[in-house]
Amino acid sequence: MNYSLFITGSPTASRACHSALDFAEAAVTNGENTIQGIFFYEEAVAIATNLAMPPRDECNIRDEWSIFAKQHKIPLYVCIAAAIRRGQLNESEAKRHEVEHFVLADEYQLEGLGSLVSLTLESDRIVRFK
Amino acid sequence: MSTLIYLSSSPYASTSLKEALDLALVFGTFEQAISIAITGDALALLVEEQTPNKRQGKHLYKLLDGLEFYDIENIYVKESEVKAFGTSLWTGVQAISQEAWINMLEQHQHIYRF
Repeated sequence: MNYSLFITGSPTASRACHSALDFAEAAVTNGENTIQGIFFYEEAVAIATNLAMPPRDECNIRDEWSIFAKQHKIPLYVCIAAAIRRGQLNESEAKRHEVEHFVLADEYQLEGLGSLVSLTLESDRIVRFK
Repeated sequence: MSTLIYLSSSPYASTSLKEALDLALVFGTFEQAISIAITGDALALLVEEQTPNKRQGKHLYKLLDGLEFYDIENIYVKESEVKAFGTSLWTGVQAISQEAWINMLEQHQHIYRF
């Protein structure tokens, strides 16, 4: 089965990002499944800030997703409109909006909703975490 | 293959409905078959003559008349909820029975809930 994950829950006010990673790890464990891509939307875009510093003895869900994505070559898409509304800018968006700072962490890419449409068309299942 | 955008959140309690309608419009732009179902708190989206100011939230009602330009023509509500609502609603919707609602849900391959 070829999956994509659609994550909308906040990384701090919900367990959406954590449960989704549990699912993703389980899905690829036996090699029978593939994951086409991950799309973060609504409050889930907050995962992509490299300025969030959880205590060292707690899970850093941003970095855990980055490591997993890199290891399995799975793209981490962050909706560009939802992200810039909430301050998750990358360097080019910071330039475009003429602000000094940008915060988007490595491995996370700002993408339009068209990428979610593509994932929807290319995947057997979309699994939602909110 | 068709996709359903299923709306049950209030249009003013969060940005959820705005972001749901954005997704519907992008599916339309990519010429994908897309329908919308509206139930529960989301029915407030359809109330006529609403005049929210910017602080209250985006005036999403104004988007409704433009949906047909994205080939979004199937917009479903439940007959029973419309009757119970008690105020006039936008007329571009199809009010269907509970049984038809369940059949409609089954006809879509993907459902995005907001």
